[in-house]
Amino acid sequence: MTDTSEDARRQAIRQALSRSVGTDSEAAALAAAFFGLWQQTAGKLEPVIGARGVDVLFGRALHLTARRFPWLPTTAHGNSAASLYVFQTCLAGRSAPEVSDAGETLLLAFTGLLAGMVGESLTGRLLGAAWTLRDPDTQPQRQKQA
Amino acid sequence: MNPSVTIRRLATGVPGLDAILGGGLPEFSFNLISGPPGSGKTTLAHQIMFALATPERPALFITVLGEPPLKMLRYQQQFSFFDTARIGEAVRFVNLNDELATGDFEQVLERITLEVAAASPALVFVDSFRAVLLDAAKSGAQSGNLQHFVQQLGVQLSAWQATTFLIGEYHAPVDDHPVFTVADGLLALRQSVHRNSMVRQIQILKMRGQATSPGVHTFRITGAGIEIFPSAVVREDSGNTADRSLSPARDGHRMSMGVPRLDAMLGGGLPSGFSLLVAGPSGAGKTLLATAFLAEGARCGEPGVMVAFEQTPSQSLNPAIDDMVRAGTLGLINTRSMDLSMDEIVHHLIEMIHRMQARRVVIDSLSGFELAVAPNFREDFRESLFRMVAALSSLGVTVLVTSELEDRYTDLRFSPYGSAFLTDAIIVQRYIEINSGLTRVMAVVKVRDSAHSSEIRQFSINGGGIVIGDPLQGYEGLLGGSPQHATERPDGAKRRATAPLL
Repeated sequence: MTDTSEDARRQAIRQALSRSVGTDSEAAALAAAFFGLWQQTAGKLEPVIGARGVDVLFGRALHLTARRFPWLPTTAHGNSAASLYVFQTCLAGRSAPEVSDAGETLLLAFTGLLAGMVGESLTGRLLGAAWTLRDPDTQPQRQKQA
Repeated sequence: MNPSVTIRRLATGVPGLDAILGGGLPEFSFNLISGPPGSGKTTLAHQIMFALATPERPALFITVLGEPPLKMLRYQQQFSFFDTARIGEAVRFVNLNDELATGDFEQVLERITLEVAAASPALVFVDSFRAVLLDAAKSGAQSGNLQHFVQQLGVQLSAWQATTFLIGEYHAPVDDHPVFTVADGLLALRQSVHRNSMVRQIQILKMRGQATSPGVHTFRITGAGIEIFPSAVVREDSGNTADRSLSPARDGHRMSMGVPRLDAMLGGGLPSGFSLLVAGPSGAGKTLLATAFLAEGARCGEPGVMVAFEQTPSQSLNPAIDDMVRAGTLGLINTRSMDLSMDEIVHHLIEMIHRMQARRVVIDSLSGFELAVAPNFREDFRESLFRMVAALSSLGVTVLVTSELEDRYTDLRFSPYGSAFLTDAIIVQRYIEINSGLTRVMAVVKVRDSAHSSEIRQFSINGGGIVIGDPLQGYEGLLGGSPQHATERPDGAKRRATAPLL
């Protein structure tokens, strides 16, 4: 995984969340947007890699994310739905920047793990339109535009 | 109008597979790919899928337990046939782990049916199907139900106008499972490890509606995927010369050996299309003779191919061979692998013969060849040699095979493999002792259906190659290694000297 492709995923997450919340930067709205994007992501992946595959990656992503956010649980809780519930509970009462940062980090870690397993190209294919990952070759230009 | 149905054959994209299937995979057939773990089942399935799948002819790859899909996708991507760009429109992966977890395999069938109905795929793969059946068996399902389940799946998938594959760890033909009866095609993969070599093999146990290539065929998995080497089939010869369309060979033309006086010993050169065995001890000059044969071919506009097993990486090849390779008049297959099959070597050899339009072939040597084939094949080496010589003969090339043969002075042998009868001509080289020195001698033992010299000629090797001398006259017991003068007795008759000549 290169920095460029990680940047591309980061941008894709930000764009997707921004599309969802618009100008509303309330913590609750951001959390809802994050969960919406997660459900889209899981919905795309579960038929292909199975719910268990999604659970395993989510558990690991949560573990990695918790290193930066001590207020997050460090271990997965059964399946991704249970872990997500715990994550959701932890977000309650956090500030908008914290919610945004933690949500982005978690999704970035999750997609990073997926890309590490099956490659950037296939990750893009599997996640589909919801993510619109960018071609690394065109990244510098797009970064400028951003 | 012909009322019978025409079955379309699909090109599988797996080199060699269409040939052993008898012309490709029948469309809408229901196939089983069986084999132990690691035998290449999933790779074979993916290779076929990526070769055939298009947006108009989409493929559905259903994973059930077995290999986790994440791992499967990770490793299958390493093959060059895996085309990420086609995932989505042409290829779709579906995981049925959750359905199977319920223990209700009817639900698995229903989900498969739903997925097939939704996607209308032309190709359906279920990997690993064995897992479905084992899980169903553990859940207490009756074998009758299982049979019904498998039959339903087979019938249903066929009715959806899809070519289907079930991939599983079956042990055909030992497994007595109804799926073997239902399936139209059975592709059995296996692998065996012997010492430090691994041999992969495939056998088409069944393919309805077409004649498959019988027997076991070896295959190799490389970065490009699976490549199958169909075993060389010995064609029956009807005796009708018109059948030998591929063989410009036995037309009476004689080929020069490139060694002065040797052509005369052979009765005017080596008949075109013949196979010649050059047997002799180490250092006698077998490779040099083979090189002269190839160089003469290059000079006469007859390209050659050489399969060399003798050289080690630190040794450079004979400069004359190097020159011919550089000039494009010689194709060289130089292998030091220890796990080859005869079929793989023959496959590469035939490919190069066609590419070079070669007329002369050298295999140097049988001893190296035997070492290069995997231990599993050494037991059948003689039979494999027979098939190879027959395959080359059918191409019309003239073949020279060298064979390391240690000098024995108590018996007369021409081949360590008892394979002398396989070739049309034999030249034997030996060392003999004369005047406390080793002298090389050479004789033509056999040229089928042709008169030839029976003289034992002394020969030497100098910078220019092999120099054949005159017959060793006046000696007896040459083949015993220590010849003796046949001296004249006063009465005119010859008698043997009592002591060896030193």
